[in-house]
Amino acid sequence: MSDPTLEAAAGPAPTDWSGSAIQRRIRRRYAAERRFRLAGLAAILISAGFLAFLLGNMLMNGLGGFVENGGIDWGFFTGADATEPVRVGIWGAFKGSLLTMIVTLLLAFPVGVLSAVYLEEYAPRNRWTDMIEVSINNLAAVPSIIFGLLGLAVFLNTWHLPRSAPLVGGLTLALMTMPVIVIAGRNAIKAVPPSIRDAALGIGASRIQVVFHHVLPLALPGILTGTIIGMARALGETAPLLMIGMRAFIAAPPGGFEQPATALPVQIFLWSDEVSRGFVEKTSAAIIVLLVFLLAMNGIAIYLRNKFEKRW
Amino acid sequence: MTTTTIALLLLGFGLIAWLAGRAKARAFLGPDRARPHSLPSYHGWYAALFAAVPAIVFLVVWGQVSGGLIYQQVMASPQATALPSFAMQRSAILGEAYALATGAATAAFNPQARALAPVYAQAISFYAWIGLAVAALIAFAGGAFAYTRISPAFRARTRVERMVMGLLLGASLIAVLTTLGIVVSLLFESLRFFGFVSPLEFLTGLKWSPQMAIRADQAGSSGAFGAIPLFWGTIFIGAIIAMIVAIPLGLMSAIYLTQYASPRLRAWMKPLLEILAGVPTVVYGYFAALTVAPAIRDLGLSLGIPASSESALAAGLVMGIMIIPFVSSMADDSLAAVPQAMRDGSLAMGATRSETIKKVLVPAALPGVVGGVLLAVSRAIGETMIVVMAAGLAANLTANPFASVTTVTTQIVQLLTGDQEFDSPKTLAAFALGLVLFLITLTLNIVALRVVKKYREAYE
Repeated sequence: MSDPTLEAAAGPAPTDWSGSAIQRRIRRRYAAERRFRLAGLAAILISAGFLAFLLGNMLMNGLGGFVENGGIDWGFFTGADATEPVRVGIWGAFKGSLLTMIVTLLLAFPVGVLSAVYLEEYAPRNRWTDMIEVSINNLAAVPSIIFGLLGLAVFLNTWHLPRSAPLVGGLTLALMTMPVIVIAGRNAIKAVPPSIRDAALGIGASRIQVVFHHVLPLALPGILTGTIIGMARALGETAPLLMIGMRAFIAAPPGGFEQPATALPVQIFLWSDEVSRGFVEKTSAAIIVLLVFLLAMNGIAIYLRNKFEKRW
Repeated sequence: MTTTTIALLLLGFGLIAWLAGRAKARAFLGPDRARPHSLPSYHGWYAALFAAVPAIVFLVVWGQVSGGLIYQQVMASPQATALPSFAMQRSAILGEAYALATGAATAAFNPQARALAPVYAQAISFYAWIGLAVAALIAFAGGAFAYTRISPAFRARTRVERMVMGLLLGASLIAVLTTLGIVVSLLFESLRFFGFVSPLEFLTGLKWSPQMAIRADQAGSSGAFGAIPLFWGTIFIGAIIAMIVAIPLGLMSAIYLTQYASPRLRAWMKPLLEILAGVPTVVYGYFAALTVAPAIRDLGLSLGIPASSESALAAGLVMGIMIIPFVSSMADDSLAAVPQAMRDGSLAMGATRSETIKKVLVPAALPGVVGGVLLAVSRAIGETMIVVMAAGLAANLTANPFASVTTVTTQIVQLLTGDQEFDSPKTLAAFALGLVLFLITLTLNIVALRVVKKYREAYE
């Protein structure tokens, strides 16, 4: 051990861990570690606290909107818009939302699933396919108000479809929801292992049969999850519906897809503009109803994902 | 005849064709007959597609054509000779008559509209019946043609599958058509707007007051369309205030959830953050206007700063909260993509966990985080309801967060609501603003996706 070259290679003497300077340094570093960790926890708690504050605020303001003279105000669930806050109801707006969502689902779901199937299973790798993919990815990120402008310029001013109608609202929201379904559908189809396709091809199924008999049924839970999430987003959407005129004062529930209607989020927006104090309660109550539906939809989506998710 | 009835009728036709085709093909089956190429149901589908698809195509085309034909017939009627020649007045009367004829309105204002309504109703039903009759004929002819072709050697499956492929391609082209529709409609209306206002004035002007006077001799009749205050307001709220809130909170949440939190806490907090992203923006807007904005105004006044009841800070704060889950999930993804070996290496050198995160993980994940922030900015500046409800309408060019500013999206909503003549520069300005918004968000998205993709490749 007395070889001088070896000693030089070993470098300086090993750290003295019991020294007071090093102990101070370690304490400082550990304190920084704790501070950082607390900052992270604080960030999470601030976000969660804000959510709790928002929900609590809505509940506190809104629960009064459901009661009238000590009992439950059933008129709120069965009525439509009115000028007096005590006489307003959400059924009119809710039915408008329902009709709009039916149109959206009927258009966006088939188109979205078929596009996803095409892009994932059949599309040749060429410039056309790239163009389709780029437009779908971009559409998913286009601000919703732009879809409203599209609806106004194309559906109302070029095709002369009826203004304020659930049909037009549904069409506009379908264009917005479709990319969400396509992206979710592609991921679900991608997750189906190739061995399933190979086995089906091996026993003589055609390429269409492979997809429609084997791949799609296996991918369906994932596609449905994405669809529900997309529909929940569409249900909460306001700006595009304002653009196509679904903000009129409508005192009776809409009778059909081409009748003037409003939607639940738009109704909330309209009521929030009212100065009368009674509308604060009703607005918050309508928000509670909307949030209950959105949470239920998201809950179903999470349940579906957990129940049917398969690890291959 | 409503659209629903026609659709049901066509579906019925298709069903009959399907049953007939399948029945005919079934008759081939049997021990001593020739083995058919396709299963009977494929023959059925072949017949059904031939019955339904051409009829649907015809009805769609007819729907476009018949409007013009109806208009011509109404204009040719004796009741139409009394119509005023002024186009706007005439179209108002015609619209009223149309609403009366279709039952959308029960009473008309104008006596001329009342006289025209029966003519309109007659023309509409006349062309509807013609369309329906031709569609039925086409459906029957298509079904019959397909039915006669069914034979054991007929390759029905191949034909049906080719049509299904066409359908799939058609469905995926709708996305391209939508993009094209957005670009064309925005460009078209913007070009009309730039016929009134020069693009240079629009993009560099400092004064925004789109109110057009009704009479030309009124003061300020021309309106000012300088959009710089709107761009500033949008950037101030969406890219500055909202990001000051969202980036630290989102990034720290992601770091805590991925690096420190126990699996149980993570399983609870992640969905909670997702709920924050799922709350509709109109709810955030209402919350911002009702609760946050008054509190901020009081704060501003107590600090001695001129504050308005609709402030940039209120809208920006709430928007920042809305964006947190977005930033957090993007940061989460990019942190998870940093190879474990880098983290292990740093820890093995004696670095604490926070030092590892600050000196190794975050720098390594930075491109992904930056990409995520760019996407978040693009989402924030396109966000509408929060700013409509909380940011105000005054186009101020100010850096005071307690003052009211307005944004591009607020002005689009403001310009297009209410009964407006569609050809005025005021409504067309909304499309020009929409075009700018579309181009900016598109650029941000493309750049962000590039950055994220490059970064992913670096670690693969």
